Amino acid sequence: MSQTDSSNRAPLVRVENLTKHFSVRIGAYGETKATVHALDEVSFDVRRGETLGLVGESGCGKSTAGLTLLQLHRPTSGKVYFEEKEVTGLSEKEMRPLRRRMQIIFQDPYSTLSPRMTIGNAIGEPLWLHELASGREAQERISRLLNDVGLNPAFAFRYPHEFSGGQRQRVCIARALACEPEFIVCDEPISALDVSIQAQIINLLQDLQEEYDLTYLFIAHDLAVVRHISDRVAVMYLGRVVEMAPKERLFDNPLHPYTNALLLSVPVPNPRQERQREHIVIQGNVPSAISPPSGCRFHPRCPLAFEPCDHVVPEWREAEPGHWVACHAV
Amino acid sequence: MSVLLDVQDLQTRFQVRKGYVYAVNGVSFQLDQGDTLAVVGESGCGKSVTMLSLVRLLPPAASIENGQVLLRGEDLLQLNLRQLRDVRGGEIGMIFQDPMTSLNPFINIGTQMAEPLIYHRGMSKSEALARSAELLGMVGIPDGEARLREYPHQFSGGMRQRVMIAMSMSCEPAVLIADEPTTALDVTIQAQIVELVKELRDRSGVAVIWITHDLSVVAGIADRVIVMYAGYIVEEAPVDALFEDPRHPYTVGLMGALPSLAGETGTRLTTIGGSPPDLVDLPDFCPFHPRCPYAIDRCRKENPMLEPVIDASDGGHRAACWVDIREVELEAGAAAGSV
Amino acid sequence: MTTQEITPTDDFGIAEASRTNLWKDAFARLAANKLAVIGIIPIVLLFFIAIFGPYLTPYDFLAQDFTARLAAPSSEHWLGTDELGRDVFSRILYGARTAVAVGLVSTAISLIVGLIMGSLAGYLGGRVDMLVVWLTDMTRSMPALLLAIVINLTLKVPLEAWMEQMYLATKNGFFRQTMWVDLVLVFGALALIQWPGYARLIRGQILSIRSRNYVLAARALGMPTGRILTRYVIPNAMGPLIVAVSAGLGGAMVLESAFSFLGVGVQLPIPSWGKMISDGLRMWQTHPYLLAGPAVMMAIITVSFAWLGDGLNDALNPRQWGG
Repeated sequence: MSQTDSSNRAPLVRVENLTKHFSVRIGAYGETKATVHALDEVSFDVRRGETLGLVGESGCGKSTAGLTLLQLHRPTSGKVYFEEKEVTGLSEKEMRPLRRRMQIIFQDPYSTLSPRMTIGNAIGEPLWLHELASGREAQERISRLLNDVGLNPAFAFRYPHEFSGGQRQRVCIARALACEPEFIVCDEPISALDVSIQAQIINLLQDLQEEYDLTYLFIAHDLAVVRHISDRVAVMYLGRVVEMAPKERLFDNPLHPYTNALLLSVPVPNPRQERQREHIVIQGNVPSAISPPSGCRFHPRCPLAFEPCDHVVPEWREAEPGHWVACHAV
Repeated sequence: MSVLLDVQDLQTRFQVRKGYVYAVNGVSFQLDQGDTLAVVGESGCGKSVTMLSLVRLLPPAASIENGQVLLRGEDLLQLNLRQLRDVRGGEIGMIFQDPMTSLNPFINIGTQMAEPLIYHRGMSKSEALARSAELLGMVGIPDGEARLREYPHQFSGGMRQRVMIAMSMSCEPAVLIADEPTTALDVTIQAQIVELVKELRDRSGVAVIWITHDLSVVAGIADRVIVMYAGYIVEEAPVDALFEDPRHPYTVGLMGALPSLAGETGTRLTTIGGSPPDLVDLPDFCPFHPRCPYAIDRCRKENPMLEPVIDASDGGHRAACWVDIREVELEAGAAAGSV
Repeated sequence: MTTQEITPTDDFGIAEASRTNLWKDAFARLAANKLAVIGIIPIVLLFFIAIFGPYLTPYDFLAQDFTARLAAPSSEHWLGTDELGRDVFSRILYGARTAVAVGLVSTAISLIVGLIMGSLAGYLGGRVDMLVVWLTDMTRSMPALLLAIVINLTLKVPLEAWMEQMYLATKNGFFRQTMWVDLVLVFGALALIQWPGYARLIRGQILSIRSRNYVLAARALGMPTGRILTRYVIPNAMGPLIVAVSAGLGGAMVLESAFSFLGVGVQLPIPSWGKMISDGLRMWQTHPYLLAGPAVMMAIITVSFAWLGDGLNDALNPRQWGG
């Protein structure tokens, strides 16, 4: 991976103050209208050829960020640029050529393939749709794509239920690749898989990135995986990005107390180290996104919280070159 | 320390349309008082079925074909259902993976917590409720008395798992079986639960069986580790020995597949090619050999027994492998199999 | 796993192969289900009789033989004769035609109405959805038989009067045949009772399939809504629908019998098993064969449709294909 030169590259995707609120009905009879603050004023960029890791606990809005970025959810406000061209506000028809270039891989490979379509057809759909190939050429393309993701091309005639989770995820990757995309949102692509299969998929994604010069937004909750695959990492908490930095900086010198707490929570796969290291466990639970805490959303759980934290939203600023953070205590 | 739980040659299979699925194939292990045993393996390796077999909480299609489960010398597989009920929730407490569905949504927490106390300990309702409030405090839920009147949906996932732990510990069990208790939880909550169980274990002296697919969690909690594959124990070792000197290729593969928070980045993960086998036949070969980079001819003909490893750095280190993998130098990348 | 060679053909070479494969799979599973296969036989027979019944019957279903009234089963009249001397066996065979017609037509009507209402509710959501759900709830909250009786009582007289007027105006003999009024009323009542079931099923299917990731993935590929519907939503909704239609056919026939039994079904002279059962019941102590024939036929057909429905359910459920 080209971590050093990616910092000089231009952003392929840029997200500016992206906000997504869902209105829901709560209460036993759904009598009360409420707003879920899934994504609030989120800004980040993904540079051409790099992998940006987007990490956070469940309900922090990281998947919403991916879907909203791709306009699969209409954003409440904020802007998304692809190659500096604004895509927010485009109609579905205007989006179509861009959809070919921006793809997504989902968490659950079981529900991402139609059970009534052979995997060859599933992979062939984007070829037909974007008029990339047809007839015999399409056939060969499908074979090559299957080969690329490590599956036997003869599997094209089989149905998803004949495959294991890891194999299905390979099919989903092949389908995303069929579009010849430049940018792929990987929405927890390995979370539903077993450990040994996870490693296969991670390696595959890295190989494909190198081969096709892909740009990834890699969404995950597993910090070790994110550290392994990313060039830069953004940490989300309750709908906001709290810290973003090149991965060495973020993992070796986290600035935000939440990032620090997350890192301390991850078990170390080494019994001797695990016995010696200090176990500072962050208390409490993630509050509801329906009524997020005022000011800094992390303040009720934060060991460093002081006067302004409960009423002033911390500014998103570049604390060190390339290292962004939103915290009053830094 | 004396042997508290002694499992001998346990075999469990499932009846399916076309025959049987052999889920547990001759599993034996011992658990000492106050000991923490971690059982590690991927989905379908038989780790959960093994533990459910101990207390015979199996679905109707499953049957225990052979084996003994001796709890303080008494074979649980020979007990009648009434006696077994006294063991479940009494001597053996259980926590499951999904705290969202392990509690009845229509009954308040207090009633659910009081039930085992009334049934197993013969307490009155008010005694049981008072004890439940205490237990909630013990698992880190403050204001217990008020929270007993609440319903499961008013608790977050982590809180529910705490309630489950409080319930399973309420009758002061000798053994606590935790089946992937943190898999559905976020990493900060997982750390809280792991710390809680360690604290409860150290205070009450309960022996813990911690079932998980996550080797990193094991490092922090276990004394001994069992690695399962295709219904067999393929390696058993004290936790330090397992991490520092793994002897089964599958264990080695699992560890190589784990990205870590420390050390070099930019390296490739070693992977185990292929996927786990269907357990429709009892194999007369090593079930791991199709995915194993060390496989020799013998592996295709004979299924290795679990035997003490040579030059063990620690006592009780056993593995089921024909090859001494320390003597084999793999070519770089040879472990990265293909599909 | 076995491998197979790719044979390049038109249209990716996959579309055709896959579709036949998929249904072949389902068919093989159905054929392996003994109860379903046993159930198919009477159903095929029923349709055969319904089509060719008049050529098979030894007697005209209307032919009255006053010399042989209430005759016991014999070689001449296999299942005996009724109180007007009509051959019971012939009437049962002819009754199959009523049963099939009622089943097919009423199911077709309720299916069409249900499809439209259910799809609208599922796609448009919001107020349309609330309205459709409210309508189905209202319909289903009324007892089916009561509804049929009310419809019959309130609409029959005005409809017959209108037919008479039409006859006077046009002198067309068609308007003199009051049995059409009966048929329309029976079909109408059955459709009214059955459409909410189909509507709710289709609405549920669409809602559930729309939220599946494969639909989201198709949107992410930039697929137009029409193609998502035809390629992803409808094929995946077909299975449960086919099962429901199979069960619905049997259900409609039973309901029609219940109507006839209560006197609001198809009126004589068209034979209907329900009507024959209700007539036979009056004399079942003295002439049990009048009741037994149609009742046994009814039971066989109902059970057959139930077995076929179960078999289809298993065969078309992709989640069960793995084992």
